[in-house]
Amino acid sequence: MRTISNVVCPFCGSLCDDIEVDVEDNRIVKVRRGCAISVTKFTKYNEERIYKPRINGKEVSLEEAIDEAVKILANAKYPALYGWSSTSTEAINIGVEIAELIGGVMDNTASVCHGPTIIGEQDAGISTCTLGQVKNRADLIIYWGCNPVHAHPRHMARYSAASKGRFIKGRKERKVIVVDVRKTHTAKTADIFIQVKPNSDYELLTALRWAVKNGELEQEEISGIPAEKIEELADMLISCRFGALFFGLGLTMSAGKARNIEAAVALVRELNNYTKFVMMPMRGHFNVTGANEVMAWATGFPFAVDFSRGYPFYNPGDTTFVDVLTRGDCDAALIVASDPVSGFPAEAIRNLAKIPVITLDHHETLTTTISKVVIPTTVVGIETEGSAYRMDAVPLRLKKLVEPPPGIPSDEEVLKMILKKLKERVK
Amino acid sequence: MELLIKNGYVYDPINKIDGEKMDIAVKDGKIVESVSSSAKVIDATNMLVMPGGVDIHSHIAGSKVNSGRILRPEDHYKDVKPRTAITRAEVGHTVPSTYTIGYRYARLGYTTVIEAASPPLKTRHTHEELNDIPLIDKSCYLVLDNNWIVLDYLSQGEINKCAAFIAWILKALKGYAIKIVNPGGVELWGWGKNVESLDDQVPPFDITPREIIRGLCKVNKILNLPHTIHVHTNNLGKPGNYRTTIETMDAVGDLANGRPNIHITHVQFCGYAGYSWITLRSGAPEIAKYVNNHPHVTIDLGQIVFGEATTMTGDGPFQYILHNLTGNKWKNADVEAEGSAGIVPYKYRRKNMVNAIQWSIGLELALLIKDPWRLFLTTDHPNAGPFTEYPRVIAWLMSTKAREKTMEKINKRAKKRGVLASIDREYTFYEIAIITRAATAKALNLENKGHLGVGADADISIYNINPMEIDPSKEYKKVRRALKRAAYTIKGGEIIVKDGEIVKSFIGETFWVKPTMSKDLEREVLKEVSEKFKEYYTVSLENYVIGESELASSKPITVKTNF
Amino acid sequence: MGEVTLKPKVIFKVPIIAETITPDNFARKSIEEIAKLEVWEGNRKVTLGELFEIAGTPGETPTDTKIIIEGDVRKVRRIGYKMTDGQILIKGPVGMYLGEKMEGGKIIVEGDADSWVGTGMKGGQIEIKGNAGDYIGAPYRGDTKGMKKGTIIIHGNAGNEIGCWMRGGTIIVKGNVGAFPGIHMKKGTILVEGDCAGRCGAMMKGGKIAVLGHIPSILPRFTFDEIKKSFKLKKEKIKGPFYLFTGDLNENGAGKLYVSIEKNKHLQFYEKYLE
Repeated sequence: MRTISNVVCPFCGSLCDDIEVDVEDNRIVKVRRGCAISVTKFTKYNEERIYKPRINGKEVSLEEAIDEAVKILANAKYPALYGWSSTSTEAINIGVEIAELIGGVMDNTASVCHGPTIIGEQDAGISTCTLGQVKNRADLIIYWGCNPVHAHPRHMARYSAASKGRFIKGRKERKVIVVDVRKTHTAKTADIFIQVKPNSDYELLTALRWAVKNGELEQEEISGIPAEKIEELADMLISCRFGALFFGLGLTMSAGKARNIEAAVALVRELNNYTKFVMMPMRGHFNVTGANEVMAWATGFPFAVDFSRGYPFYNPGDTTFVDVLTRGDCDAALIVASDPVSGFPAEAIRNLAKIPVITLDHHETLTTTISKVVIPTTVVGIETEGSAYRMDAVPLRLKKLVEPPPGIPSDEEVLKMILKKLKERVK
Repeated sequence: MELLIKNGYVYDPINKIDGEKMDIAVKDGKIVESVSSSAKVIDATNMLVMPGGVDIHSHIAGSKVNSGRILRPEDHYKDVKPRTAITRAEVGHTVPSTYTIGYRYARLGYTTVIEAASPPLKTRHTHEELNDIPLIDKSCYLVLDNNWIVLDYLSQGEINKCAAFIAWILKALKGYAIKIVNPGGVELWGWGKNVESLDDQVPPFDITPREIIRGLCKVNKILNLPHTIHVHTNNLGKPGNYRTTIETMDAVGDLANGRPNIHITHVQFCGYAGYSWITLRSGAPEIAKYVNNHPHVTIDLGQIVFGEATTMTGDGPFQYILHNLTGNKWKNADVEAEGSAGIVPYKYRRKNMVNAIQWSIGLELALLIKDPWRLFLTTDHPNAGPFTEYPRVIAWLMSTKAREKTMEKINKRAKKRGVLASIDREYTFYEIAIITRAATAKALNLENKGHLGVGADADISIYNINPMEIDPSKEYKKVRRALKRAAYTIKGGEIIVKDGEIVKSFIGETFWVKPTMSKDLEREVLKEVSEKFKEYYTVSLENYVIGESELASSKPITVKTNF
Repeated sequence: MGEVTLKPKVIFKVPIIAETITPDNFARKSIEEIAKLEVWEGNRKVTLGELFEIAGTPGETPTDTKIIIEGDVRKVRRIGYKMTDGQILIKGPVGMYLGEKMEGGKIIVEGDADSWVGTGMKGGQIEIKGNAGDYIGAPYRGDTKGMKKGTIIIHGNAGNEIGCWMRGGTIIVKGNVGAFPGIHMKKGTILVEGDCAGRCGAMMKGGKIAVLGHIPSILPRFTFDEIKKSFKLKKEKIKGPFYLFTGDLNENGAGKLYVSIEKNKHLQFYEKYLE
């Protein structure tokens, strides 16, 4: 038996890197320090495992599956490549090269998650930092439209509300505010809970910004919150030493979307006139940030990139996968480390089922059930090493802890094989 | 593989060759005395031959650059080039993609470029991007002056331990030199504050910017690093800051021993006289006077080029000020225990008085400083303009006519705020070769770069311009055009550019330093460092370190320290 | 007026990018030459002739060239790109980026349009008989310079963020609009004859917007000025009465927001600020 320490957990955007794992007979037998989700991933990743490549449900060799995938992709007039957020940066990089070669449209799961954050940033900018800056300095924390107790279980202890840093020694030295539409478990741990009316975060954010500027609010109540309470909140925000706003899908996916983020950016920017304030998106998948980073350095754009004319073109709403599918624009799809069928709107899924789909994943999902070609791959961060970016864009190296099942390649290896064969066909 | 470049007019200042007609022989990637008759011949008759360009300060890779890309889709979508069989798709104007950066530098005839500022915690990202920049050889400076562990050691007077820590971090993160950015100011920006003078306190560290600079200068001497400390001064971008710049240079004058021991970067941004934007004047004459009389200083220009730019620096507070001045969108990204970064799009306008004065300052510095070996051509890409405009800057330096032409179009009041109109010095091709290749390679102590002597790397640029016939003073437009698209660029003996087109693509080398250190000292310091890590950082020390295999093509350089 | 008719001869599945369908590109050309004009079908370059049946004779100049497209072109994008004059009549639904960077001339659509109608428009007229999507007149992502001049009329409903970053020109929607009309507006006029889903004029610095229908609320940093009898649109006076708000004060804005009093009784409480 051996113990591997400083393991980076490949599940959520927290990318905790202090996990300790005991490995015996090529199996993970114990996980220390990981949250419940982490332990589940490390110990149950073999469930629903796929062991052999398939074409139309029939088992084939890896080479046959790759040949079929290459054929589909080379012949497509508008192939889509989607997913990417749960694999290594190296694999995603190969994906970009494939998308460019075949003139397809490549998108990652940010487009259904924090895409609005990026869009908001492109109009307004953002004041942010790495998580340690919050741990060391923040004496006021806001969780807005996110529920870290459930979605990022160790976030509060490692990085935010309850973390211990150089200047702030723990929860007692901080004020925690939660803004949400209902009293979540995270809200129960807060000093102040603001129950905002659903779909009216935009008004509350702008009212707060106005109150911070010392403006008087003409309405008595905004978004379900009395004006005096908003003014009180504004005072609290101004008088902290270092404030941090963490936000999630409650802001990015409620009415307003990217404009909600823009309003939050404007509020935080305003606060920097009086004190120090930052904000940070609570990224979901462990490498969605990495997908944004590598796509941006290779194409200029972080997601939703169309290569059909030989160069990158970006426009969410046009080149985002959900929209491409809903309009029935693409005639083939390569899905890597993602399960869009389980989350996409019905019309999009109907159109996905009509076209040939190639899926790379390690286990059965709703997407693998409608795929023409399924190629099983290894689990990154457990069976394959690779690079991944934390929610604050800190890059870490995922480790290989155990050997994968015999004959199963990594996403990176499969994509390299596909790329090689495509280069022989496409000039 | 053998190459013979025949009959070109060669400018190789390190070897004192000034426009001599001579052949250059290449074999297996190196310059050699001679080659066999089966060598491929490049006819460089009537052409200008120089070593490949060496850019000592450019923002080409890493989280700050990528943040700039993500922030500015509007910068990219108009500047695109479809992929070819040899090249990846190109995209972006002031913040281009990694592939675009490599190709564009190659087309200019540049073959070595250094990323000017990498925050240690995110340096893995810098390397991942450098891995994807084709053709050029590259490296990166590590930003270390607001680093908590460095500040702890310096404020406790532990110079040796500080040196050991820096030796370790350069090795662990594969960096090249010590970068200093607004020392003390960026640490205070963690609280939304800044410093205003070299002697301000930086709580809680009990240290001043002056002490940080001096401390790191001493560390640099102990480590015997190939490059000096590379300094972005306090008060950057502030009217009247030329005094801070001179004070900064002077702060380490007594520590020098005949060789340069401090490099001040993008001095244009630090060369402002006057006391407000309305009274802004050029501080270049004062700075030039100091530099001319103090051989311990080297500088690079940070020359403005009119048009779009993207400002991006590790100077968080400055970037915030710029946002407030312009109203342009602003991204700020602090890095725990280490520093910050800020990005603000900007457009330099001829009719804007401040921009016109800024333009003038950079050129005045270049023309008033007498020793070209201590002055380097940069635009602090993309802060003052994209690097693709280097030929335009060269034209301004070589031709008073070119400067006059531009001066006719700029804000009229700006002319009286500087001395540019009174200068008639014109750079020669030899001097241009110095400030773009020879001097930069020398300042970096890259023995095999920046010259064409036997043993050098075969990094060569050939331009379709006849230095014997052309009068750059009059025909500056021809010079500009020729330098924008090399007739040939050769990298490691391979022809990569022909007539301004990329003909071959591969990945160059990432070089970095490995300072020698006793195992005991390293162990002692690492013990203290790993304790601090638990409190200061949110990653483990083990995961902070970058493995050599993470670099696509690693070239470590062992440095013998003076411990 | 010279007329050229295009009829789709295939069913479009992947996106078609047809920047070449403009009076400028058709003028003075023979049918054979028009048929050879290139468009993108997904990742392939094809000719107009492969996708459309083409008939007629264009004019000598763009000004006397009219293009009639008969059929479903909802997958066809960038029709009218940078056109300087002339007319385009589309008898069916049309795809994104209609009239992108248009400088003059007229486009009429007898059907629905998609999003980004008139993006980067500098002049001319676009009229959509059906509904339109989002981002009418909006610039490219990250850009702050929207529609400069020209008129866009939507007879049906329109989506979100119409007139985003607008700096001139006029947008009229006879039906309803989604949220954030006039967001970041600097100059220009927007008239919504139907209802607005809300957040009207967010971040606006100038220009004017009128909503004749229902709007759920006014953003917190718009201040109530007075009651106005009418709203001026070009030469016309549209009868109110209206509540007039100024904002967006968070941006030190002086934009004007006219809201119908009759359809918005729930906003009556603002009248207490009348002196």
